[in-house]
Amino acid sequence: MGSVLAWVAQSGVVQGIIIGATFAFLTAILIMNSVARAATTTVNGWSTLRECGRPGNGILLRAACAKALPLVNVFEEAAYWTTTKDGTGQPLSGRHEYVLRFPAGQLPPNGAFWSLTMTDTVGYMVGNAIDRSSIDDRTALQKNADGSVDIYLQRDAPPGREQNWLPSPSGKFKLTLRAYLPGAEILNGSYRVPPVAKAQ
Amino acid sequence: MNRLILKYGIPLTVVILAVFAWVIYQRIRGGSDIVPLAVAAVIVWLVGAPAFIYLWPRLTVGGFKRAIVKHGFGEGPIPVNSLYAMPSTPSPSESRGSLLATGTDDLLYLGGWLELKDGPLVLHVPEMAGRYYSLQFTNPSDSSNFAYVGTRTTGTGAGEYVISGPGWNGSVPEGMTHIPSPGHSVLVIGRVFVANESDLPTAYGLAKQVALAPLGARGLTR
Repeated sequence: MGSVLAWVAQSGVVQGIIIGATFAFLTAILIMNSVARAATTTVNGWSTLRECGRPGNGILLRAACAKALPLVNVFEEAAYWTTTKDGTGQPLSGRHEYVLRFPAGQLPPNGAFWSLTMTDTVGYMVGNAIDRSSIDDRTALQKNADGSVDIYLQRDAPPGREQNWLPSPSGKFKLTLRAYLPGAEILNGSYRVPPVAKAQ
Repeated sequence: MNRLILKYGIPLTVVILAVFAWVIYQRIRGGSDIVPLAVAAVIVWLVGAPAFIYLWPRLTVGGFKRAIVKHGFGEGPIPVNSLYAMPSTPSPSESRGSLLATGTDDLLYLGGWLELKDGPLVLHVPEMAGRYYSLQFTNPSDSSNFAYVGTRTTGTGAGEYVISGPGWNGSVPEGMTHIPSPGHSVLVIGRVFVANESDLPTAYGLAKQVALAPLGARGLTR
C-alpha cells in the first residue's frame, strides 16, 4: 500500500490529473464561448442571444447560455442587446464621445419598458457625478426636429443637452439595452438597434 | 472575487499554464518518466471537458442557491420555500461582488429557492394593477425557465398558483392555477417594475406581498 502511494506521488499522476483538469476546464470554457458566439446575432455592433432559457435546449447551448447570461429571461419576456464596440468595431471608451441616434419612432418597441444601462466591461454599474447609470422610457428625452432621439455617451456633460446624456466612465465600457415584453418587430427580427457612432 | 476572475482571467490562465510548463520541464530535466503524467492528464482532460460542459448550468444555478440560502441579500439567509424581495434596485453603490450590481435599476428583484419534496407550495401574488412583473421558475438541472407567472403569461391581477414537484397527484384547489415542476428543486427569480424613486415604496410594498405557503397547511384551514 505504502509503495503504491509512493509511486503515485513520484510518478506525476497527481500532477497529470491537476493539469488535465485545468485543460478540461479551459477547453469547456472555449467550447461554451464559441457556441455562445455562434448562437449570437450581431447587428450594428449590438449582440443578442435569443434562444437562452428555453426548456429543450441542447447540452451545448444551455451550457453556453448559463456561462454567457446566467438565469437570463426567455426572449419573449425580455430582449437584451449588449455592445462594447461602436458601429465601426472600435472598443467603446470614455476617452471618446459617442451618439446613439434612434430614428423617429425607432425606440425599442415594448409592452413594459426599455432601458439603456452603462456599465464597466464586466457589467457593473459605475458611479458618476449626476448619479445616472441608465436612460429609459421615463427619461424626459429631447427630440430632434425630425423626431429622432440622440443619446450622448461621454464623460463630460454635453452643454444644453444634459437630459439626453448618459455619462461614461473613464475607461472602456459596455452598454446594455433592454426591452421588457419586446414588441412584434423585435420578436420577428425586423427591429434593429442603431449603431453607436463616434461624435464628429 | 468573480469580478477579479472575469477581469484577469487571461493573465491568470497564462500564469497557471506557465507553472505547468515549468513542472513538466523540471520532470524531464530530472530524468523522470513523463508518461504517467501525460496519460493521466489526457484521460482527465477528455473526460473532464464534457463533464464541465454538462454540469455548467447546474453549477451556475448552484451558485445562486448558495447566495440565497447561505448568504441572502443583506438581511441574512433566505429560508428555503420563501421569497425575499430586495428593498432597492441595483445601483453603483452595491458592493462590487454583489450579484445585484449587474441588474437594471428599473426593477426590484425577488429571489427564493424551493424544495418541493414535502409537498406543493402555494404562491400568492397581489393585485399588480397593470404594473409589469414576472416570476421566473428555473429548473436547476438545465437552467431552463419552465414556467412564468406575470404580466405576459398570467396578467397583472391577484392570483394563487400551486407549484408541485414530480409525481404529485393531489387536487388543485378551485381558483388556483397549477404549475408542475420537472424537479423537486426550483430557483425563483422575480422582477417588479419600478418607474422611479418615488414609485419605490409602492413597488416594494407589492413585491413583499408575493409570498409562498405550503399547500398542506392551507388545506387544513379550509
